[in-house]
Amino acid sequence: MDSTLACARTSSASAAAVTPSRRVALIAALLASAVVLGLVESTLPSVALVPWLRIGLANLAVVIALVCFGVRAAGLVSLGRVVIVAVATGTLWSPVFAMSVGGAVASLVVMAALSATLRGITPVGVSAAGSAAHVLAQFVVASVLVDTPSLLVLAPPSVLAALALGAVIGLIAQAVVSRMPWR
Amino acid sequence: MSRADRIVIAIIALVAVAAWPLVAAAGGGSDDVVIAGPAGTTVVPLHVDGTFMIEGLGGPVTVVVSDGRVRVSDSCCPDHVCMRSGAISAPGSLIACVPNGVVVRVGEGGDDGLDARVR
Repeated sequence: MDSTLACARTSSASAAAVTPSRRVALIAALLASAVVLGLVESTLPSVALVPWLRIGLANLAVVIALVCFGVRAAGLVSLGRVVIVAVATGTLWSPVFAMSVGGAVASLVVMAALSATLRGITPVGVSAAGSAAHVLAQFVVASVLVDTPSLLVLAPPSVLAALALGAVIGLIAQAVVSRMPWR
Repeated sequence: MSRADRIVIAIIALVAVAAWPLVAAAGGGSDDVVIAGPAGTTVVPLHVDGTFMIEGLGGPVTVVVSDGRVRVSDSCCPDHVCMRSGAISAPGSLIACVPNGVVVRVGEGGDDGLDARVR
């Protein structure tokens, strides 16, 4: 864990050593990874009883972008993915798109705020909190869209599940970042 | 996982657990099915079998009531989360098809807000 923390600390300094063009290429690769991870996840069967629960694989790329390149890169990867997926699936400006944007923005704001203010937080806590924020925002957007506040009944158990899944994604992100060859 | 991680996760988990009873549906003995869609709300009894076509935002949504349970049997939406939700019967449980703006809920017809939930 300490080695990964050290990585998170030194990555901003070493990222400066990454040339601008290399930085653009790496962020673009993360964006492409986010889209692919999202596609892979959409092919997984949903769990009975909780079909709305997702693993959030795409957040892996967002967390890595946040740790290595900062908030703007993470925003680009997250929102870029949402728009690309919406265009590809024909759901741009649909209720589903509103839920995606709501979840992505809430997750991004929470993750950026936590990683900027809380010293000692690792990608695990950042990802778990971002995942919880994502789910909560989606439920709020959905309950507004269908005009049914009682939809929020499903929110607390989903947030708990999202915390656990987000922490796992954070662990994976941590492992990936600590093995980045260009550090 | 650092101490800060554990604290953040614990706080969010505590808030979620604390909020649970606030948003949980009151377990009233009602056995009505409330089907709310863009075109309006329909209330049907849970113990009478029937099939209902609801016009959603993206197309028709088929709601089936049988054996005291209600499910969405067909819907034109991207992920079919509503169909995969299965059949529900417990008061307060619900199925939502967000792309179609349709919510199927077991409970009393007039009670659609959270105002009466805090006890």
